[in-house]
Order: sequence, then C-alpha cells, then structure tokens
Amino acid sequence: MDKSKLVFHSIALITLGAVFLFFWSLIEKRDSVGPAAAPFPKLFGYLYLLIPVSLLAILLGVVCAFYVEERLTETSWLRRFIESEVAIFTGIPSLLYGLLAVEVFIACALGGLENSVGMLFYAEVLTFIFLVMPLSIRTTQAALRSVATPIRESAYVLGANQWQVLFNRVVPLAFPAIFAGGCRAMSRALATVALLIGIHTWGYTPNATLSAGIHSRFVLLLVAALLFSVLSSFLMEKSALLQYRK
Amino acid sequence: MSRGISLQRTDRVGAISESRKSMKSDKKQSILSIRNLNVWYGDTQILVNLSFEVRRRQVTALIGPSSCGKSTLVRCLNRLNDFTPNFRLTGEILFKGRDLYASMTKATEVRMQIGMVFRKPIPFRCSIYENVTYGPRISGISQPAQLDVIVEKSLRRVGLWAEVEPILDGMPDGLSIGQQQRLCIARALAIEPDILIFDEPCGELDPMETPKIEALVRDLKNDYTLIFVTNKRRQAARVSDFAGFLYCGELIEFGATEKLFTNPQDIRTEQYVTGKLG
Repeated sequence: MDKSKLVFHSIALITLGAVFLFFWSLIEKRDSVGPAAAPFPKLFGYLYLLIPVSLLAILLGVVCAFYVEERLTETSWLRRFIESEVAIFTGIPSLLYGLLAVEVFIACALGGLENSVGMLFYAEVLTFIFLVMPLSIRTTQAALRSVATPIRESAYVLGANQWQVLFNRVVPLAFPAIFAGGCRAMSRALATVALLIGIHTWGYTPNATLSAGIHSRFVLLLVAALLFSVLSSFLMEKSALLQYRK
Repeated sequence: MSRGISLQRTDRVGAISESRKSMKSDKKQSILSIRNLNVWYGDTQILVNLSFEVRRRQVTALIGPSSCGKSTLVRCLNRLNDFTPNFRLTGEILFKGRDLYASMTKATEVRMQIGMVFRKPIPFRCSIYENVTYGPRISGISQPAQLDVIVEKSLRRVGLWAEVEPILDGMPDGLSIGQQQRLCIARALAIEPDILIFDEPCGELDPMETPKIEALVRDLKNDYTLIFVTNKRRQAARVSDFAGFLYCGELIEFGATEKLFTNPQDIRTEQYVTGKLG
C-alpha cells in the first residue's frame, strides 16, 4: 500500500472512531442513570419517521456519487477521503448499526432527554445516514463507472458538454443499476429497523410478551426488506448495461 | 530487395497521384497545422516533437504499428484527451489559424468542427433517427422539418438511406456492424464538421464491409478534410493523398502517399511499408 493511501485510510478510521466515541458517550450516560424501561409507543413514531429519512439519504448518496465520479479527479483528496470512508462504512454489518441505534435511543430516552425530541431524532437520523448513504454512494459510483468510456466519447465527439453526456447518455443507461442500488440500501435500512424492534423487544425487556402489533410490524418490515432486496437483484439482471456488454 | 517490393506499388498509388494532380489550388491550403507537439501521460512521453500540416479536402493517413501514438495524436486534435488523467501537452495545434488549446477555445466547439469516428461503432440506445439528430439537437436545431432534412441528407451521403428508411424509428441493434459504422459516420456528418477523423474505422469490419467504408472515405473528401488512422499499410495507400508514418511516438516521415510508399526517405519507413517492421 502506498503512503498516501495509508494516510487517507487513517483519516477515515479516525473519523469513524470519533463517531463511535460519540455514540459511546451516549451509552455511558444511559448506564449511569439506571435500568432500562423502554417507552415503546415513542419508538415506533420515530422509526416511521426514519423511512423518509433513509430515502432522503439514498438521494443524497446518489448526488454525492455523481459529484465524486463526474467532478472530482482521481487524485483529488476529497474523492479519496470519501471513497475511503465509504469503503469502511459499507463493511460494517447492519446489525451493528441496529444495536447502536438502540443504544442511542435508550440513552437519549433515559438520560433525561425524553422531552428533547430533536436530540434523539438527530441521533437516529445520523445512524441511518451512516447506514444508507455509503451503500448508495458505492452502488451509484459503480453504475456510473460501468458506462464504458467509448459510450461517453461517442457523445463528446458530437460536441456534447459534460452535463449533456451525463444526463442524455450515461444516466439513462446507468439508471436501473442506480435504482437497484437504492433498493439495496433501502432493504438494508428496513432490515435494520426490523432488527431494532426485535432486539428492543426481546433483548431489553426479556419478560415482555410480544404484542400482536409489534409482531406484525416486525414481519412486515422483514418482508419489505426482502422485497426490496429481490427487486434490486431483478433490476440488476435487467440492467441495460448488461445488454451492452454482450 | 526491399526497394524492388516497394516499386511494385507504383501502379497502385499511380492512380491516386493522377487524381491528386487534378485538384483545385484551394485544396492545397493547410487547414490544420501541428507544430512541435509533445504529449505526456504522467511521466511517459507518448508523442515526441511532431510537426505536420493537414491539407484541406484531402485524406491524410496516419500509419504505424499499434501503440505508436496514432490514436493519442488524433485524440489531441479534437481535445478528446482532455478527460485523460495526467495528460499534458506542449506545442501548438492550429485549426484555421486558431490554437485549439488556447484558453479562449471551447472544447465542445472544437469537437463540433472536428468530428470523429471510432474503431468500434457505438450507436446510442435510441432510434436511428434520434441517433443522427443527437448532434444537431445539442447544437440547437430543434425544428422537425430541418432535422428531417439533415437525417435524409446524412444517411444518403453514407449510402444507408435506402436500407434504413423504413426503420428510422427502430433501434439500430438490428443493423449489421458495417451499417452501424456507416450510421456513426452519418451521425458525425449531421453536425457538418470541417474535419472528420477516422480512427481505424474498418478495424471491426469484415472484408465485405471494408471496401464500402473506403469508397465512402474517397467520396467524402470532396466536401470534408479527412484524417484516416490505420495500421493497414495497403488501406492507407488505397485511400489517402498524404501519409505520415509514426513509430514509437515520433513522426518518422510525412509526405504524399505516393512518395512515402514508393520512395521512402527513412530506412524505418521503407522497412514498415515493405512489411519488415511492425
């Protein structure tokens, strides 16, 4: 590994460490307060707010990938930083995110922060952005990259500028793959939400019986996650890019 | 021995020489001058101090073994190398007296005037009609009547009109690779460039399609200035008026095709045209 790569990976790791420390400090706070007693109704309220948030994170990821792939040169420090960061975040299992989110939620709920909805919401949003955005960035980047250079060049030689090439030629070809990436990210998010509910219910209140409502929500989320996952695979299979490679 | 082989070519290129003599005087004018061109990719120098002139309404062939810098050279002429990382260039490329790499010159405008056809035909994934009108549309022509005229004119010019007229709204996937290449030439002609660069246009074609493209190139030179890159010596002899021999990034020899093939000045050119090198 060359020196500069090492530096960028270290910076990415330090940033990651800082994020974990932030979460850890919240957990510590929870433990100093006392035993947990989770307020369920609030939990679901927040979770359903998080679905649009993860959609937003996917969009943000797509935009970020466009910027990185089309505007930044390969040697640009910002590009290398984002790519290192993305590589690290996509490698973290979503179960860990789920656990983290639960910890943060309880920490906020029990740390005298029940009423500060803002604080709690931002912590959850942050988790979801870290969960969904890297995957979205990575899949979009891969989709843009897989549009072969000659396809771009055949539009450039007709006098098209960079934006025209991107939106007339590249995006129509890459769209199914970008969309499939979005579905994959969404599936990951939903699975994490399902995990969150499961862990919260069974892990933190072991004596509680599963109410019908919670159970159906849990199943619904898992099915939705599975559906998104299948849709993503289907889209990738149908992608125009595959046809082009023949 | 080698001299003997090269002399046998005289009769073939003789015909080219005859047609060249009948050219009008304005065709002798230079449209593109390359002066002291040096090109680097990172630390690797690809082209070393090239200088030559491309004359108006003539076919200029660039020959040489593969990876000798032919494609890099033509990609400099329409600024397609702008996207290549670590690309660096010194020297001047003057198109009608204007420096292509001056800060005021827009790359998109350069590419509208200096078109290009690639080795592998890549029609866009839209109808044949939309393929041809893509260039005119982005240059601001939007009236359907005007576009119809352009489509017919361009497709007729490449001899594809009769074949594709009934399927103009169909996808180009069904066309043969030779037809696709002619479609790509029609697409390039639709924006009326001054210069058209052919980067090994027959590289992917079968022997039945190749003569059609060569005939087209000879026909197009009445209206356009053509630069023809090929690594087939005989093809260069058949289609071009001027030829340059590139070897390891250097322009070994440049001159009238007839002279280059029958009386090369450099030993390497002689070896190349006789098949001993490359």
